[in-house]
Amino acid sequence: MKTSTTIALACLASFVILCLAVPAPSSAALDGQELYKEYCKGCHASGSPNGEYTPLDLIQDQWTRFFDRKYERTHKDVLDASHGNRPVIEVIGPEELQAIRDFAVEHASDSENPMTCG
Amino acid sequence: MRLMYVATPVLAALLATAVASGASQENRHKRWVKEYTGTETCLKCHEEEAEAFFHSQHYQWRGETPAMVNSDGQKLGKLTMINDFCTNPGGAQWIGKVTNDDGKVLAKGCSTCHAGLGLLPAETPSRVQLENIDCLICHANGYRRDLYATEDGEWEWRPILWKNQEGMNSVARRITVPTRTMCLRCHSASGGGPNYKRGDIEYTLKEPDRSFDVHMAANGKDMWCVDCHAGDAHRVKGRGVDLAATDSPGHDLSCSGSCHGETPHDVPALDNHTERVYCTTCHIPVFAKDEPTDMRRDWSTITWSEEKGKYTYDVTLEQNVEPVYAWYNGSSYNQIPGQPVRRNTDGAVTMVTPDGDRADPAARIYAFKLHRGVLPVLKGKDWIMPVATEELYHHGDPDRAVRDAAKSFYGLDQVDYEWTDTVRYMGLFHEIPPAEDALQCLDCHSPDGRMDWQALGYDGDPLATRRTAASKDSGR
Repeated sequence: MKTSTTIALACLASFVILCLAVPAPSSAALDGQELYKEYCKGCHASGSPNGEYTPLDLIQDQWTRFFDRKYERTHKDVLDASHGNRPVIEVIGPEELQAIRDFAVEHASDSENPMTCG
Repeated sequence: MRLMYVATPVLAALLATAVASGASQENRHKRWVKEYTGTETCLKCHEEEAEAFFHSQHYQWRGETPAMVNSDGQKLGKLTMINDFCTNPGGAQWIGKVTNDDGKVLAKGCSTCHAGLGLLPAETPSRVQLENIDCLICHANGYRRDLYATEDGEWEWRPILWKNQEGMNSVARRITVPTRTMCLRCHSASGGGPNYKRGDIEYTLKEPDRSFDVHMAANGKDMWCVDCHAGDAHRVKGRGVDLAATDSPGHDLSCSGSCHGETPHDVPALDNHTERVYCTTCHIPVFAKDEPTDMRRDWSTITWSEEKGKYTYDVTLEQNVEPVYAWYNGSSYNQIPGQPVRRNTDGAVTMVTPDGDRADPAARIYAFKLHRGVLPVLKGKDWIMPVATEELYHHGDPDRAVRDAAKSFYGLDQVDYEWTDTVRYMGLFHEIPPAEDALQCLDCHSPDGRMDWQALGYDGDPLATRRTAASKDSGR
Protein backbone atom coordinates (compact mmCIF):
# COMPACT_ATOMS: atom_id res chain seq x y z
CA MET A 1 0.00 0.00 0.00
CA LYS A 2 1.36 3.31 -0.96
CA THR A 3 2.11 5.85 1.76
CA SER A 4 -0.34 8.35 0.30
CA THR A 5 -3.11 5.76 0.35
CA THR A 6 -2.30 4.91 3.96
CA ILE A 7 -2.45 8.57 4.93
CA ALA A 8 -5.74 9.04 3.09
CA LEU A 9 -7.27 6.01 4.80
CA ALA A 10 -6.03 7.22 8.17
CA CYS A 11 -7.56 10.64 7.57
CA LEU A 12 -10.84 9.08 6.52
CA ALA A 13 -10.86 6.83 9.60
CA SER A 14 -10.11 9.82 11.84
CA PHE A 15 -12.91 11.77 10.20
CA VAL A 16 -15.37 8.92 10.73
CA ILE A 17 -14.31 8.54 14.36
CA LEU A 18 -14.60 12.30 14.92
CA CYS A 19 -18.04 12.33 13.35
CA LEU A 20 -19.18 9.48 15.56
CA ALA A 21 -17.66 11.10 18.62
CA VAL A 22 -19.57 14.37 18.17
CA PRO A 23 -22.69 14.12 20.32
CA ALA A 24 -26.03 14.38 18.55
CA PRO A 25 -27.44 17.89 18.84
CA SER A 26 -30.12 18.38 21.45
CA SER A 27 -33.59 19.19 20.13
CA ALA A 28 -33.36 22.60 21.75
CA ALA A 29 -30.37 23.42 19.56
CA LEU A 30 -32.12 22.34 16.39
CA ASP A 31 -34.24 24.62 14.26
CA GLY A 32 -37.65 22.98 14.18
CA GLN A 33 -38.86 25.26 11.41
CA GLU A 34 -35.98 24.33 9.12
CA LEU A 35 -36.43 20.64 9.93
CA TYR A 36 -40.16 20.91 9.25
CA LYS A 37 -39.37 22.39 5.85
CA GLU A 38 -36.75 19.73 5.11
CA TYR A 39 -38.62 16.64 6.23
CA CYS A 40 -42.35 17.47 6.22
CA LYS A 41 -43.10 20.12 3.65
CA GLY A 42 -42.06 17.94 0.69
CA CYS A 43 -45.08 15.68 1.19
CA HIS A 44 -47.45 18.13 2.90
CA ALA A 45 -47.20 21.31 0.84
CA SER A 46 -50.23 23.16 -0.51
CA GLY A 47 -52.33 20.95 -2.79
CA SER A 48 -50.57 17.76 -1.78
CA PRO A 49 -52.61 14.51 -2.00
CA ASN A 50 -51.17 13.67 1.42
CA GLY A 51 -52.87 16.70 2.93
CA GLU A 52 -51.49 20.18 3.52
CA TYR A 53 -50.11 20.63 7.01
CA THR A 54 -48.37 23.57 8.56
CA PRO A 55 -48.30 24.20 12.31
CA LEU A 56 -51.33 26.48 12.23
CA ASP A 57 -53.54 23.85 10.58
CA LEU A 58 -53.96 21.99 13.87
CA ILE A 59 -54.46 22.98 17.48
CA GLN A 60 -51.85 22.11 20.09
CA ASP A 61 -53.81 19.10 21.39
CA GLN A 62 -54.03 17.67 17.89
CA TRP A 63 -50.30 18.01 17.29
CA THR A 64 -49.52 16.38 20.63
CA ARG A 65 -51.89 13.52 19.88
CA PHE A 66 -50.44 13.15 16.40
CA PHE A 67 -46.85 12.77 17.60
CA ASP A 68 -47.85 10.57 20.56
CA ARG A 69 -50.14 8.18 18.76
CA LYS A 70 -50.27 8.58 15.02
CA TYR A 71 -46.91 9.59 13.62
CA GLU A 72 -45.22 6.19 13.65
CA ARG A 73 -48.32 4.30 12.59
CA THR A 74 -49.06 6.61 9.65
CA HIS A 75 -45.46 7.06 8.50
CA LYS A 76 -43.87 3.62 9.02
CA ASP A 77 -44.24 2.66 5.36
CA VAL A 78 -43.48 6.10 3.94
CA LEU A 79 -40.21 6.45 2.05
CA ASP A 80 -38.49 9.82 1.86
CA ALA A 81 -37.52 10.46 -1.75
CA SER A 82 -35.43 13.47 -0.74
CA HIS A 83 -33.28 11.36 1.58
CA GLY A 84 -32.27 8.28 -0.37
CA ASN A 85 -35.72 6.73 -0.36
CA ARG A 86 -35.22 5.60 3.21
CA PRO A 87 -38.17 5.18 5.58
CA VAL A 88 -39.20 8.53 7.06
CA ILE A 89 -39.14 7.22 10.62
CA GLU A 90 -35.46 6.26 10.13
CA VAL A 91 -34.48 9.46 8.36
CA ILE A 92 -35.80 11.68 11.13
CA GLY A 93 -33.87 11.01 14.32
CA PRO A 94 -35.46 11.30 17.77
CA GLU A 95 -33.90 14.71 18.54
CA GLU A 96 -34.94 16.06 15.18
CA LEU A 97 -38.44 14.71 15.64
CA GLN A 98 -38.66 16.41 19.04
CA ALA A 99 -37.59 19.73 17.49
CA ILE A 100 -40.22 19.39 14.76
CA ARG A 101 -42.81 18.53 17.38
CA ASP A 102 -41.86 21.55 19.52
CA PHE A 103 -42.10 23.82 16.50
CA ALA A 104 -45.52 22.48 15.51
CA VAL A 105 -46.97 22.76 19.01
CA GLU A 106 -45.50 26.20 19.69
CA HIS A 107 -46.97 27.57 16.48
CA ALA A 108 -50.27 25.69 16.36
CA SER A 109 -53.41 27.61 15.49
CA ASP A 110 -54.36 28.10 19.13
CA SER A 111 -50.86 29.16 20.20
CA GLU A 112 -49.84 32.74 20.83
CA ASN A 113 -47.88 32.77 17.59
CA PRO A 114 -49.52 30.66 14.89
CA MET A 115 -47.25 30.10 11.91
CA THR A 116 -46.96 28.35 8.64
CA CYS A 117 -43.64 26.63 8.13
CA GLY A 118 -42.55 29.44 5.82
CA MET B 1 -74.15 35.83 66.42
CA ARG B 2 -76.59 33.27 65.08
CA LEU B 3 -76.80 35.29 61.88
CA MET B 4 -73.04 34.99 61.47
CA TYR B 5 -73.22 31.19 61.64
CA VAL B 6 -75.72 31.23 58.80
CA ALA B 7 -74.06 33.97 56.79
CA THR B 8 -70.51 32.62 56.87
CA PRO B 9 -71.12 29.40 54.88
CA VAL B 10 -73.44 31.23 52.52
CA LEU B 11 -70.81 33.88 51.85
CA ALA B 12 -68.16 31.19 51.43
CA ALA B 13 -70.34 29.39 48.92
CA LEU B 14 -71.01 32.61 47.02
CA LEU B 15 -67.29 33.41 46.95
CA ALA B 16 -66.43 29.94 45.70
CA THR B 17 -69.06 30.27 42.99
CA ALA B 18 -67.71 33.65 41.95
CA VAL B 19 -64.12 32.40 41.78
CA ALA B 20 -65.15 29.37 39.77
CA SER B 21 -67.41 31.30 37.41
CA GLY B 22 -64.75 31.80 34.74
CA ALA B 23 -63.93 28.11 34.64
CA SER B 24 -67.53 26.93 34.87
CA GLN B 25 -68.47 29.22 31.98
CA GLU B 26 -65.85 27.50 29.87
CA ASN B 27 -67.01 24.09 31.05
CA ARG B 28 -70.59 24.91 30.21
CA HIS B 29 -69.64 25.66 26.63
CA LYS B 30 -67.82 22.34 26.39
CA ARG B 31 -71.18 20.69 26.88
CA TRP B 32 -73.20 23.05 24.74
CA VAL B 33 -71.12 23.55 21.61
CA LYS B 34 -71.52 20.29 19.73
CA GLU B 35 -70.29 21.58 16.39
CA TYR B 36 -69.24 25.13 15.59
CA THR B 37 -70.49 26.21 12.17
CA GLY B 38 -69.97 29.95 12.53
CA THR B 39 -71.65 32.74 14.48
CA GLU B 40 -75.00 31.01 13.92
CA THR B 41 -73.88 28.50 16.53
CA CYS B 42 -73.50 31.27 19.13
CA LEU B 43 -76.78 32.90 18.10
CA LYS B 44 -78.76 29.79 19.03
CA CYS B 45 -78.39 30.86 22.67
CA HIS B 46 -77.08 34.44 22.45
CA GLU B 47 -79.20 36.34 19.95
CA GLU B 48 -80.08 38.95 22.57
CA GLU B 49 -76.39 39.49 23.40
CA ALA B 50 -75.56 39.70 19.70
CA GLU B 51 -78.17 42.42 19.16
CA ALA B 52 -76.79 44.35 22.10
CA PHE B 53 -73.26 43.97 20.79
CA PHE B 54 -74.38 45.05 17.32
CA HIS B 55 -75.15 48.51 18.73
CA SER B 56 -71.87 48.81 20.64
CA GLN B 57 -68.78 50.82 19.69
CA HIS B 58 -66.81 47.65 19.18
CA TYR B 59 -69.10 46.73 16.29
CA GLN B 60 -70.43 50.05 15.01
CA TRP B 61 -67.19 52.02 15.24
CA ARG B 62 -69.42 55.05 15.85
CA GLY B 63 -71.99 56.03 18.44
CA GLU B 64 -73.47 58.69 20.66
CA THR B 65 -71.19 61.64 21.33
CA PRO B 66 -72.27 63.26 24.63
CA ALA B 67 -68.66 64.03 25.58
CA MET B 68 -67.77 65.77 22.33
CA VAL B 69 -68.32 69.51 22.55
CA ASN B 70 -68.78 70.11 18.81
CA SER B 71 -70.69 67.00 17.71
CA ASP B 72 -74.09 68.69 17.60
CA GLY B 73 -75.74 65.37 18.48
CA GLN B 74 -74.30 63.43 15.57
CA LYS B 75 -73.35 59.79 15.88
CA LEU B 76 -69.66 59.73 15.13
CA GLY B 77 -66.68 57.45 15.58
CA LYS B 78 -63.71 55.76 14.00
CA LEU B 79 -65.73 54.92 10.91
CA THR B 80 -66.77 58.51 10.21
CA MET B 81 -63.81 60.50 11.56
CA ILE B 82 -60.27 61.06 10.28
CA ASN B 83 -57.29 60.47 12.52
CA ASP B 84 -53.61 61.23 12.17
CA PHE B 85 -52.52 57.57 12.32
CA CYS B 86 -54.18 55.44 9.60
CA THR B 87 -56.63 58.28 8.79
CA ASN B 88 -59.91 56.44 8.06
CA PRO B 89 -60.97 52.79 7.68
CA GLY B 90 -63.50 53.30 4.86
CA GLY B 91 -63.30 52.54 1.16
CA ALA B 92 -60.55 50.17 0.07
CA GLN B 93 -58.99 50.55 3.49
CA TRP B 94 -61.64 48.36 5.12
CA ILE B 95 -60.68 44.93 3.87
CA GLY B 96 -58.44 43.25 1.28
CA LYS B 97 -54.86 42.21 0.80
CA VAL B 98 -52.30 44.70 -0.45
CA THR B 99 -49.16 42.98 -1.71
CA ASN B 100 -45.82 44.20 -2.98
CA ASP B 101 -44.29 43.15 -6.28
CA ASP B 102 -42.80 40.06 -4.60
CA GLY B 103 -46.20 38.94 -3.41
CA LYS B 104 -45.53 39.78 0.22
CA VAL B 105 -48.71 40.83 2.03
CA LEU B 106 -48.31 44.43 3.22
CA ALA B 107 -51.76 45.06 4.69
CA LYS B 108 -55.11 43.36 5.15
CA GLY B 109 -57.34 46.29 5.98
CA CYS B 110 -58.54 48.10 9.07
CA SER B 111 -61.19 45.43 9.64
CA THR B 112 -58.32 43.32 10.97
CA CYS B 113 -59.34 44.80 14.31
CA HIS B 114 -63.10 44.92 13.79
CA ALA B 115 -65.11 42.37 15.78
CA GLY B 116 -66.83 41.27 12.59
CA LEU B 117 -66.16 38.85 9.78
CA GLY B 118 -65.66 41.42 7.04
CA LEU B 119 -68.90 43.27 6.33
CA LEU B 120 -69.04 46.96 7.10
CA PRO B 121 -71.34 47.51 10.09
CA ALA B 122 -74.84 48.57 9.06
CA GLU B 123 -76.86 51.05 11.13
CA THR B 124 -79.79 48.69 11.64
CA PRO B 125 -79.53 45.05 12.70
CA SER B 126 -80.35 42.14 10.40
CA ARG B 127 -79.67 38.42 10.40
CA VAL B 128 -76.75 38.93 8.03
CA GLN B 129 -75.25 41.58 10.31
CA LEU B 130 -75.69 39.48 13.46
CA GLU B 131 -74.00 36.54 11.75
CA ASN B 132 -71.20 38.91 10.77
CA ILE B 133 -70.33 39.39 14.47
CA ASP B 134 -67.21 37.45 15.35
CA CYS B 135 -67.97 36.40 18.94
CA LEU B 136 -64.90 34.20 19.20
CA ILE B 137 -62.39 36.98 18.52
CA CYS B 138 -63.06 38.36 22.01
CA HIS B 139 -64.36 35.26 23.80
CA ALA B 140 -62.49 32.11 22.72
CA ASN B 141 -59.05 31.26 23.97
CA GLY B 142 -56.84 30.14 21.10
CA TYR B 143 -59.08 31.49 18.33
CA ARG B 144 -57.20 32.97 15.40
CA ARG B 145 -58.46 34.19 12.06
CA ASP B 146 -57.11 35.25 8.71
CA LEU B 147 -58.31 36.93 5.54
CA TYR B 148 -59.60 34.73 2.73
CA ALA B 149 -61.03 35.46 -0.71
CA THR B 150 -64.57 34.20 -1.20
CA GLU B 151 -65.86 32.46 -4.32
CA ASP B 152 -67.55 35.67 -5.48
CA GLY B 153 -64.38 37.70 -5.25
CA GLU B 154 -65.01 39.38 -1.91
CA TRP B 155 -62.91 39.15 1.22
CA GLU B 156 -63.89 37.70 4.57
CA TRP B 157 -62.28 36.90 7.91
CA ARG B 158 -62.40 33.19 8.72
CA PRO B 159 -60.99 31.07 11.52
CA ILE B 160 -57.67 29.65 10.37
CA LEU B 161 -59.13 26.33 11.48
CA TRP B 162 -62.02 26.56 9.05
CA LYS B 163 -60.96 23.31 7.39
CA ASN B 164 -60.32 21.53 10.69
CA GLN B 165 -63.73 20.93 12.28
CA GLU B 166 -62.41 19.03 15.28
CA GLY B 167 -59.93 21.79 16.12
CA MET B 168 -62.56 24.46 15.48
CA ASN B 169 -65.02 22.75 17.84
CA SER B 170 -62.34 22.55 20.53
CA VAL B 171 -61.52 26.26 20.29
CA ALA B 172 -65.20 27.30 20.12
CA ARG B 173 -65.79 25.56 23.47
CA ARG B 174 -63.09 27.61 25.23
CA ILE B 175 -65.40 30.52 25.98
CA THR B 176 -64.33 33.05 28.57
CA VAL B 177 -64.71 36.72 29.35
CA PRO B 178 -62.11 38.61 27.31
CA THR B 179 -58.64 38.07 28.70
CA ARG B 180 -55.90 40.69 28.69
CA THR B 181 -54.31 38.96 25.70
CA MET B 182 -57.52 39.15 23.68
CA CYS B 183 -57.92 42.89 24.27
CA LEU B 184 -54.26 43.65 23.66
CA ARG B 185 -54.20 41.98 20.24
CA CYS B 186 -56.08 44.97 18.85
CA HIS B 187 -55.61 47.69 21.44
CA SER B 188 -51.86 47.35 21.59
CA ALA B 189 -51.35 46.78 17.88
CA SER B 190 -53.45 49.72 16.71
CA GLY B 191 -51.83 52.40 14.59
CA GLY B 192 -49.67 50.05 12.56
CA GLY B 193 -47.20 48.72 15.12
CA PRO B 194 -46.79 47.62 18.73
CA ASN B 195 -47.84 50.48 21.01
CA TYR B 196 -47.67 52.90 18.08
CA LYS B 197 -51.00 54.53 18.72
CA ARG B 198 -51.87 54.73 22.38
CA GLY B 199 -48.46 54.73 24.05
CA ASP B 200 -49.78 53.40 27.36
CA ILE B 201 -51.15 50.03 26.19
CA GLU B 202 -48.18 47.77 25.51
CA TYR B 203 -48.03 44.02 24.93
CA THR B 204 -46.10 43.88 28.18
CA LEU B 205 -49.47 44.21 29.93
CA LYS B 206 -50.17 40.60 29.05
CA GLU B 207 -47.97 39.52 31.95
CA PRO B 208 -46.44 42.64 33.49
CA ASP B 209 -44.40 42.95 36.61
CA ARG B 210 -45.71 45.13 39.42
CA SER B 211 -42.99 47.68 38.66
CA PHE B 212 -44.59 48.10 35.21
CA ASP B 213 -48.26 48.11 36.19
CA VAL B 214 -49.56 47.64 39.73
CA HIS B 215 -53.07 46.86 38.52
CA MET B 216 -52.42 44.14 35.97
CA ALA B 217 -49.35 42.46 37.43
CA ALA B 218 -49.76 38.97 38.85
CA ASN B 219 -47.76 40.20 41.84
CA GLY B 220 -50.01 43.26 41.97
CA LYS B 221 -53.81 43.18 41.63
CA ASP B 222 -53.77 40.86 38.60
CA MET B 223 -56.68 42.76 37.08
CA TRP B 224 -57.99 42.22 33.57
CA CYS B 225 -59.12 45.03 31.25
CA VAL B 226 -62.75 44.00 31.79
CA ASP B 227 -62.44 44.53 35.55
CA CYS B 228 -62.59 48.27 34.90
CA HIS B 229 -64.09 48.53 31.43
CA ALA B 230 -66.94 46.01 31.33
CA GLY B 231 -70.29 47.78 31.19
CA ASP B 232 -73.83 46.58 30.61
CA ALA B 233 -75.05 44.98 27.38
CA HIS B 234 -71.62 44.53 25.81
CA ARG B 235 -70.85 48.23 26.23
CA VAL B 236 -67.50 49.46 27.51
CA LYS B 237 -67.02 51.96 30.31
CA GLY B 238 -64.44 54.68 29.91
CA ARG B 239 -63.64 56.82 26.88
CA GLY B 240 -60.30 57.72 25.45
CA VAL B 241 -60.01 61.51 25.40
CA ASP B 242 -59.53 61.41 21.62
CA LEU B 243 -62.49 59.14 20.88
CA ALA B 244 -65.56 60.80 19.46
CA ALA B 245 -68.17 58.41 20.83
CA THR B 246 -68.99 57.21 24.33
CA ASP B 247 -69.98 53.55 24.54
CA SER B 248 -71.64 53.75 27.98
CA PRO B 249 -73.03 57.26 28.38
CA GLY B 250 -73.60 58.11 32.02
CA HIS B 251 -71.22 55.43 33.27
CA ASP B 252 -67.95 57.27 33.60
CA LEU B 253 -64.81 55.50 34.65
CA SER B 254 -62.40 57.04 37.12
CA CYS B 255 -59.72 55.97 39.57
CA SER B 256 -61.66 57.44 42.47
CA GLY B 257 -64.92 55.65 41.58
CA SER B 258 -65.30 52.53 43.69
CA CYS B 259 -61.57 51.92 44.18
CA HIS B 260 -59.48 54.81 45.44
CA GLY B 261 -61.81 57.61 46.60
CA GLU B 262 -61.01 61.30 46.29
CA THR B 263 -58.46 61.50 49.12
CA PRO B 264 -56.45 58.28 48.94
CA HIS B 265 -53.04 59.45 50.16
CA ASP B 266 -53.28 59.86 53.95
CA VAL B 267 -51.07 62.89 53.33
CA PRO B 268 -53.03 66.17 53.33
CA ALA B 269 -50.50 67.91 51.08
CA LEU B 270 -51.12 65.27 48.41
CA ASP B 271 -54.86 64.92 48.95
CA ASN B 272 -55.16 68.68 48.53
CA HIS B 273 -54.13 68.20 44.92
CA THR B 274 -56.86 65.81 43.85
CA GLU B 275 -59.54 68.44 43.35
CA ARG B 276 -57.53 70.01 40.50
CA VAL B 277 -54.99 67.35 39.55
CA TYR B 278 -56.07 63.96 38.22
CA CYS B 279 -54.30 60.82 39.49
CA THR B 280 -52.54 60.09 36.19
CA THR B 281 -50.66 63.38 36.28
CA CYS B 282 -48.45 62.17 39.12
CA HIS B 283 -48.83 58.42 38.67
CA ILE B 284 -47.78 58.19 35.00
CA PRO B 285 -44.30 59.77 35.05
CA VAL B 286 -43.51 58.36 31.60
CA PHE B 287 -45.22 56.24 28.95
CA ALA B 288 -44.03 53.84 26.23
CA LYS B 289 -41.88 52.14 28.82
CA ASP B 290 -41.03 48.97 26.87
CA GLU B 291 -42.05 49.68 23.31
CA PRO B 292 -41.55 53.02 21.56
CA THR B 293 -44.64 54.88 20.50
CA ASP B 294 -45.46 56.96 17.43
CA MET B 295 -45.09 60.63 18.42
CA ARG B 296 -45.19 62.11 14.91
CA ARG B 297 -46.40 60.70 11.60
CA ASP B 298 -45.96 62.53 8.32
CA TRP B 299 -47.99 61.13 5.41
CA SER B 300 -46.47 63.63 2.98
CA THR B 301 -42.98 62.15 3.28
CA ILE B 302 -42.87 58.60 1.94
CA THR B 303 -39.75 56.48 1.69
CA TRP B 304 -39.01 52.94 0.55
CA SER B 305 -38.11 50.50 3.31
CA GLU B 306 -35.96 47.65 2.05
CA GLU B 307 -36.42 45.85 5.35
CA LYS B 308 -40.23 45.97 5.23
CA GLY B 309 -40.50 45.64 1.46
CA LYS B 310 -42.88 48.58 1.27
CA TYR B 311 -43.17 52.35 1.16
CA THR B 312 -43.68 53.86 4.58
CA TYR B 313 -44.65 57.17 6.13
CA ASP B 314 -42.11 59.20 8.05
CA VAL B 315 -42.50 58.36 11.71
CA THR B 316 -40.86 59.49 14.93
CA LEU B 317 -40.86 56.76 17.57
CA GLU B 318 -40.00 57.58 21.17
CA GLN B 319 -39.63 55.59 24.37
CA ASN B 320 -39.98 56.62 28.03
CA VAL B 321 -41.76 59.80 27.01
CA GLU B 322 -42.80 62.44 29.53
CA PRO B 323 -46.48 63.32 29.15
CA VAL B 324 -47.76 66.80 28.40
CA TYR B 325 -50.33 68.27 30.77
CA ALA B 326 -53.60 70.04 30.11
CA TRP B 327 -56.93 70.82 31.73
CA TYR B 328 -59.72 68.35 30.97
CA ASN B 329 -63.32 68.36 32.16
CA GLY B 330 -64.36 65.04 30.59
CA SER B 331 -65.29 66.48 27.19
CA SER B 332 -63.20 67.09 24.10
CA TYR B 333 -63.19 68.89 20.80
CA ASN B 334 -62.69 66.56 17.82
CA GLN B 335 -62.13 67.84 14.31
CA ILE B 336 -65.10 66.70 12.19
CA PRO B 337 -64.55 65.87 8.51
CA GLY B 338 -66.45 68.15 6.16
CA GLN B 339 -66.16 71.12 8.52
CA PRO B 340 -63.50 73.86 8.31
CA VAL B 341 -60.46 72.96 10.38
CA ARG B 342 -59.63 74.69 13.65
CA ARG B 343 -55.99 75.61 14.20
CA ASN B 344 -53.96 76.38 17.32
CA THR B 345 -51.65 79.38 17.73
CA ASP B 346 -48.87 77.47 15.95
CA GLY B 347 -51.10 76.94 12.94
CA ALA B 348 -51.50 73.20 13.50
CA VAL B 349 -54.93 71.66 13.01
CA THR B 350 -56.30 70.55 16.36
CA MET B 351 -57.52 67.02 15.61
CA VAL B 352 -58.42 66.55 19.28
CA THR B 353 -58.08 68.86 22.26
CA PRO B 354 -59.37 68.32 25.78
CA ASP B 355 -62.04 70.77 26.93
CA GLY B 356 -61.64 72.86 30.08
CA ASP B 357 -59.30 75.41 31.61
CA ARG B 358 -58.15 76.64 34.97
CA ALA B 359 -61.35 78.63 35.48
CA ASP B 360 -63.52 75.56 34.82
CA PRO B 361 -64.38 73.98 38.20
CA ALA B 362 -65.06 70.64 36.53
CA ALA B 363 -61.62 70.51 34.93
CA ARG B 364 -58.52 68.89 36.34
CA ILE B 365 -54.98 68.60 35.03
CA TYR B 366 -54.48 65.30 33.19
CA ALA B 367 -51.50 63.57 31.55
CA PHE B 368 -51.53 63.29 27.76
CA LYS B 369 -49.62 61.89 24.86
CA LEU B 370 -49.41 64.72 22.31
CA HIS B 371 -49.34 63.19 18.86
CA ARG B 372 -48.27 65.31 15.93
CA GLY B 373 -49.04 64.55 12.32
CA VAL B 374 -48.99 65.85 8.78
CA LEU B 375 -52.23 65.44 6.85
CA PRO B 376 -53.78 66.98 3.73
CA VAL B 377 -56.33 69.82 3.96
CA LEU B 378 -58.69 70.59 1.08
CA LYS B 379 -58.07 74.13 -0.14
CA GLY B 380 -61.12 76.35 -0.36
CA LYS B 381 -63.25 74.20 1.93
CA ASP B 382 -60.51 73.85 4.57
CA TRP B 383 -61.56 70.24 5.28
CA ILE B 384 -59.21 67.71 6.80
CA MET B 385 -58.63 64.84 4.35
CA PRO B 386 -57.84 61.15 4.73
CA VAL B 387 -55.11 59.24 2.89
CA ALA B 388 -55.55 55.85 1.19
CA THR B 389 -52.75 54.50 3.32
CA GLU B 390 -52.82 50.78 2.61
CA GLU B 391 -52.38 51.09 -1.18
CA LEU B 392 -49.73 53.71 -0.50
CA TYR B 393 -47.56 51.00 1.06
CA HIS B 394 -47.42 49.46 -2.43
CA HIS B 395 -47.30 52.39 -4.87
CA GLY B 396 -45.53 54.94 -2.67
CA ASP B 397 -47.23 57.99 -4.23
CA PRO B 398 -48.75 60.26 -1.54
CA ASP B 399 -50.51 62.47 -4.12
CA ARG B 400 -52.32 59.45 -5.58
CA ALA B 401 -53.16 58.26 -2.06
CA VAL B 402 -54.75 61.63 -1.21
CA ARG B 403 -56.76 61.72 -4.43
CA ASP B 404 -57.96 58.11 -4.03
CA ALA B 405 -59.12 58.84 -0.49
CA ALA B 406 -60.78 62.13 -1.49
CA LYS B 407 -62.80 60.19 -4.06
CA SER B 408 -63.88 57.40 -1.70
CA PHE B 409 -64.41 59.54 1.42
CA TYR B 410 -65.76 62.84 0.09
CA GLY B 411 -66.78 61.76 -3.43
CA LEU B 412 -64.46 64.38 -4.96
CA ASP B 413 -62.84 63.80 -8.35
CA GLN B 414 -60.73 66.97 -8.51
CA VAL B 415 -58.97 68.21 -5.41
CA ASP B 416 -56.57 71.00 -4.61
CA TYR B 417 -54.97 70.42 -1.26
CA GLU B 418 -52.02 71.31 0.95
CA TRP B 419 -50.21 69.40 3.67
CA THR B 420 -50.59 70.74 7.18
CA ASP B 421 -49.37 69.98 10.70
CA THR B 422 -51.83 68.43 13.15
CA VAL B 423 -51.94 67.81 16.89
CA ARG B 424 -53.97 65.30 18.90
CA TYR B 425 -54.20 65.03 22.69
CA MET B 426 -54.57 61.43 23.83
CA GLY B 427 -55.32 60.68 27.48
CA LEU B 428 -52.97 58.39 29.38
CA PHE B 429 -54.61 56.05 31.89
CA HIS B 430 -52.70 52.77 31.95
CA GLU B 431 -49.40 51.29 33.12
CA ILE B 432 -49.45 52.81 36.61
CA PRO B 433 -46.18 52.05 38.45
CA PRO B 434 -45.97 51.58 42.23
CA ALA B 435 -46.72 54.70 44.29
CA GLU B 436 -43.06 55.15 45.19
CA ASP B 437 -42.33 55.72 41.50
CA ALA B 438 -44.90 58.50 41.15
CA LEU B 439 -43.75 62.08 40.55
CA GLN B 440 -42.34 63.84 43.59
CA CYS B 441 -43.08 67.44 44.62
CA LEU B 442 -40.01 68.90 42.93
CA ASP B 443 -40.75 67.18 39.64
CA CYS B 444 -43.36 69.91 39.16
CA HIS B 445 -42.66 72.54 41.80
CA SER B 446 -39.13 73.63 40.97
CA PRO B 447 -37.52 75.96 38.43
CA ASP B 448 -36.68 72.95 36.25
CA GLY B 449 -40.02 71.24 36.85
CA ARG B 450 -41.92 69.58 34.03
CA MET B 451 -45.10 71.69 34.26
CA ASP B 452 -45.63 74.51 31.79
CA TRP B 453 -47.50 76.68 34.28
CA GLN B 454 -48.15 79.50 31.81
CA ALA B 455 -49.77 77.09 29.38
CA LEU B 456 -51.98 75.89 32.24
CA GLY B 457 -53.14 79.44 32.98
CA TYR B 458 -50.88 80.34 35.89
CA ASP B 459 -48.43 83.20 36.14
CA GLY B 460 -45.86 80.72 37.37
CA ASP B 461 -45.51 77.79 39.75
CA PRO B 462 -48.54 78.29 42.05
CA LEU B 463 -46.61 76.93 45.03
CA ALA B 464 -43.84 79.48 44.53
CA THR B 465 -46.44 82.22 44.05
CA ARG B 466 -48.14 81.19 47.30
CA ARG B 467 -44.80 81.12 49.17
CA THR B 468 -43.93 84.58 47.91
CA ALA B 469 -47.33 85.89 49.00
CA ALA B 470 -46.97 84.21 52.40
CA SER B 471 -43.51 85.66 52.96
CA LYS B 472 -44.78 89.13 51.99
CA ASP B 473 -47.63 88.71 54.49
CA SER B 474 -45.30 87.59 57.26
CA GLY B 475 -42.91 90.48 56.48
CA ARG B 476 -45.57 93.10 56.94
